[in-house]
Amino acid sequence: MARVKVDVHHLTRVEGHGNIVVDVRNGILEQCELQIVETPRFFEPMVLNRHYDEVSHIVSRICGICAVGHSTVSLRAIENALDIQPSLQTVLLRKLNMHGEILDSHILHAYMLVAPDLLGLPSVMPLAKSTPEVVLRALRMKKMAGEICRVVAGRHTHPIAMTTGGFTHYPSRQDLLKLREQLIGIRPDLEATLELFSTLEFPHFIRETEYIALRKEEEYCFIDGEVASTDGGTWPIDAYRSITNEYIVSHSSAKHTRNQRESYMVGALARFNVNFDKLHPKARAAADALGLSPVIYNPYLNTAAQVVEIVHCFEDAIDLTEQLLDMGVKWEEPAKPGRLSGKGAGACEVPRGVLFHEYTFEDGRVVGANCIIPTGQNLANVEADMRALVPQILEKPHEEITLALEMLVRAYDPCISCSTHILDVKFI
Amino acid sequence: MTAPHANTLVLALGNTLRGDDGVGAAVIAALRDQQLPAGVTLQEGGTPGLELVLMMQGYRRVIVVDAADMDQPPGTCLTFTPEQVRLQSRDMHLRGTLHYAGLAEALSLGDVLGLLPPEIIIIGVQPLSLEWQIGLSEPITAALPDAVAAVMDALLYDEA
Repeated sequence: MARVKVDVHHLTRVEGHGNIVVDVRNGILEQCELQIVETPRFFEPMVLNRHYDEVSHIVSRICGICAVGHSTVSLRAIENALDIQPSLQTVLLRKLNMHGEILDSHILHAYMLVAPDLLGLPSVMPLAKSTPEVVLRALRMKKMAGEICRVVAGRHTHPIAMTTGGFTHYPSRQDLLKLREQLIGIRPDLEATLELFSTLEFPHFIRETEYIALRKEEEYCFIDGEVASTDGGTWPIDAYRSITNEYIVSHSSAKHTRNQRESYMVGALARFNVNFDKLHPKARAAADALGLSPVIYNPYLNTAAQVVEIVHCFEDAIDLTEQLLDMGVKWEEPAKPGRLSGKGAGACEVPRGVLFHEYTFEDGRVVGANCIIPTGQNLANVEADMRALVPQILEKPHEEITLALEMLVRAYDPCISCSTHILDVKFI
Repeated sequence: MTAPHANTLVLALGNTLRGDDGVGAAVIAALRDQQLPAGVTLQEGGTPGLELVLMMQGYRRVIVVDAADMDQPPGTCLTFTPEQVRLQSRDMHLRGTLHYAGLAEALSLGDVLGLLPPEIIIIGVQPLSLEWQIGLSEPITAALPDAVAAVMDALLYDEA
């Protein structure tokens, strides 16, 4: 059999730098790697010796997509370490803010990065040309998501009003009334989203794996709870290291993880599989419309699970806004620490899956930090999928193999790094 | 009759934590102290990504102020239109991601969607340093009056 070699240098439509390398000789898979070539970021040493109040603003910069997630999880870890009890108002505002971020990220991924693949288009530009209303809808929904974050925490990215124990600024009643009205106004776009994605066909590929997500009895969980697995078992957040079991591989600058199998998956599909029964009724109806029911073992359907979460987060955001309006948001001093030394872990579900932060403090300053991000937890699972998928599609043309692998990696919505842009201008 | 400056957005782009990339924000700050014609909105846009398309929507004219690598000495300030140049966000050709779309991608998308304002003017300032720091370098600070004057010129004189 001829040699089949796939070498995708710098995969597009994912965040950051990653390569796909697959090498099959005489029918034997010799190499199958998702290489992470991004430079390590060293945020953990960056927060050492910093005061606890500075941490959330520094770690927010780990990611411009998951800034609210990194801020929130760091605040929960700090609050656990220093015995700080946030109020119900703080808890509700944080939930609302997290919804804004999940929505922003999912809308971009489903509409701009994945939909072109499913429609056989090379990028979002031809999609905008053929069906501008679809891209306009995505932009409108994304803007609405950013608006949630702006109203709650002062701006779209890098929440400025969130602090240890509470908030430094609160939305007015007027802000919340307007937000509720805008959120309700987005419902026709939700219906149109569902209509679009129910017509798209996702690739068929099944591989059983373990799905890990946070779970709470009372809600579809994004903040706190305990860690649950579709293979059975729950763990307190403090025991996160016994779930992630990080290890080093030579082809990746990000560590790999494993729990009860050789790998596990986190993200929208994991949350859907673990917490289906806690979804908003309208999101469950959306799952029905998309033909989804747990447990789903097709990683390509992570995007479909994101669409279900788009419905859930918009609807729950309306409910949360109403709850806040009923309560009446009042000025509150942020809750104070009960101690200044201690160790604590926090966990949140960010768009790409469960995120863990842990900090140790002495006299209010950081002496130890550990962050485990979702994409790192998914890497081993992506490679296991690739190893299972390649033999199934080996007879296909090279371009189709490459596209199937690219789409697989994109389905995980990996977030490999962050960077800035400067315009290069050439006069013509 | 509509005045040439009516319904105009002056939009600064860039990250103030990356040294001279904050030049747009500094220009906006300086413009707040100026006597501006009626119908002008000043906005510090930061790094809005694709939402830039929606930021520009509905305006008749948009004047974008941004740090731009134009192969010029640091501090050089040039006024041009998108049609006069080939724009490329650094790294985008390699990364192909829309997570960090810049002006170039937003203008392409806005063009395809038919959402761009009738008139777009870009005022580019050649940066010296884009390192992680707050504040502008010396040549860029010295060029601020030029950049502010370029915006005022664009506001007061209708290019058409």
